[in-house]
Amino acid sequence: MFSLKLGLKNLTRQKRRNILIIFVIAFAFFGYLVMDSLMNGMEEMSFDNIKNYDTGNIQVVNPEYWEDREDLPLENLIYLNQDIVESIKKIEGVLGVSPELRFKANLNNGIDETAVIGLGISFDQYNEVFTTQNYIVEGSMFAPGELKAVIGVSLAELMDLKVDDYITLLVRTKDDTFNTIDVEIAGLVRAPNPMINNGIVFVPLDVAQQALNIGNGVSLLALKTVSGEEERISKSLTDNFKNKDLNLKPYSWKESASSVIALSAAKKGGIGTVLLVVLLIGMLGIINNVILSALERTEEIGMMKALGMREWEIVFVFMIEATGIGILGGLAGCLLGYIGVSWLVKYGFSIGYISGGDASGYGIPILDRIYGIWNYPAFTFLFILGIIIAVLSSILPSYWAAKKDPVKAIYHR
Amino acid sequence: MALLELKKVKKVYRQGKIEVPALRGIDLTVEQGEFTTIFGPSGSGKTTLLNMIGCLDTPTEGEIKLNGNKVSKLSQKQLAMVRRYNIGFIFQAYNLIPVLTAYENVEFAIRLIDHSKELQIKEKVLKILEEVGLKGLENRRPNELSGGEQQRVAVARALVKEPKIVLADEPTANLDSKTAADVVKIMIKMNKELGTTFIFSTHDPAVMKYANRYINLKDGMISTDERRG
Repeated sequence: MFSLKLGLKNLTRQKRRNILIIFVIAFAFFGYLVMDSLMNGMEEMSFDNIKNYDTGNIQVVNPEYWEDREDLPLENLIYLNQDIVESIKKIEGVLGVSPELRFKANLNNGIDETAVIGLGISFDQYNEVFTTQNYIVEGSMFAPGELKAVIGVSLAELMDLKVDDYITLLVRTKDDTFNTIDVEIAGLVRAPNPMINNGIVFVPLDVAQQALNIGNGVSLLALKTVSGEEERISKSLTDNFKNKDLNLKPYSWKESASSVIALSAAKKGGIGTVLLVVLLIGMLGIINNVILSALERTEEIGMMKALGMREWEIVFVFMIEATGIGILGGLAGCLLGYIGVSWLVKYGFSIGYISGGDASGYGIPILDRIYGIWNYPAFTFLFILGIIIAVLSSILPSYWAAKKDPVKAIYHR
Repeated sequence: MALLELKKVKKVYRQGKIEVPALRGIDLTVEQGEFTTIFGPSGSGKTTLLNMIGCLDTPTEGEIKLNGNKVSKLSQKQLAMVRRYNIGFIFQAYNLIPVLTAYENVEFAIRLIDHSKELQIKEKVLKILEEVGLKGLENRRPNELSGGEQQRVAVARALVKEPKIVLADEPTANLDSKTAADVVKIMIKMNKELGTTFIFSTHDPAVMKYANRYINLKDGMISTDERRG
């Protein structure tokens, strides 16, 4: 117990150096916790933005369509009848079903033309699944049959368009003939998912179906479900389609978000690297401190050995000191991390410097700010790991100190 | 049985390929309760001899017995245990731990061997501090004590575990003559009261005169060994 007391009292020696190491460890911890919060926040926001503005929780699609979905084909569509939608809605946990028709189009403003994705939606059903309508910043959504469209603000800026302007969508029909959809811009949307804002033109589903000559065909059915129930609902859907002999299959939002999932995996690697650097900083700080302390206290070590202290007892004294530094650095780091993460959760981190705040070019569907999220286990994990690393990294230099020849140590030779 | 016996003890240091003999064959017997000074010119082997007696180092040749037990061939771990229970040290530079108070510096030594209750330890430590004249200064740290007071703490630290033998290498070299005499008088007092054997090296004739045995070392050998009073 006295060795414990001595080790703790030794913390008050070389205050400036100890404080410096504590701060280095604290800032390394802070960096990790902030990074972890931001990365997890980015992941969660990305997933939410995909679910809430793009895919819903589940997409019901013809498997052949799914294979070619990137090309937005007009084949292998789902031909709607009320029975399909109603039977899906009856499944417990399904909160909304939105039929969507996705098609390639060229948007023409009378002067310029750009490639866009046309999205035929039934407004009421779309509202059950997505929250895009909450982000209409000017004008309004359209009603079925209206020759109106809603486009993103970024696309509007690019094409110099505003509400009430007319646009022409040049499309290819199912029969591979050209057709046009002339619509008035009813509203401008600025959704948290920048992909919505950049290149999508919302038009009434019936208008799109008519222009593309596909009857009541839709590309997919987007489903909103109770979060976390996707797997169970997918199973029910599969059974349902099998019973009705429908060539349809449910796909989780995760399957549509492969690039973000891949980014998430890369994030884990990135955070792991940061963790490694943090631990390395802590280790080097502790090792450096123990070595310097041992050099400064050579005569004291000699005295301890003359008193008959065993090597492990001397090692213990140094380890207590190192552990104390690790604990104080960890506590300070967790406190700084708490402040940093609180700030990130409340105010977020501006990504204004990335392509004007649009991270979609990097495969991250986030606009303006990334908000951090709390990851309390990371605090506990880092704190405990920090102490373990402090203890482990102090063992070797402590043994080096304790192994000193007593005569040489006493006389500092 | 003698407390300490050295038979033909030799110590040779190697500096690269050169062998430097520090002790050339020491035969010495010390009885319980002796107050012995080892003197001689610099490089005569005083410190080396004290290190051998104190089990801090082992001889190249020869045999050392402490309390009848052969200690010259023990391992470092065993030597540490011999030092822990049998030997007290007083160093020229005091070697106190600066973050501990006078009380704690003394407590540190006894805690290594005595696992009695807090109260009993406290009694012992306060008693020895009073014996060396440090009553009232128990809570001062080394930097709040004079050189003489620090050396008294070191004396108390060496004696608190009631060792068989106390070794002091130039214990008064850093002190003025009056303080040096005070410290030596405390050592004599403890020698008489507790019967502890003291062996110390010194250059100072004013300190030497308090000893009752004088061993003169020259070139690693005992040239004279006298007992007085």
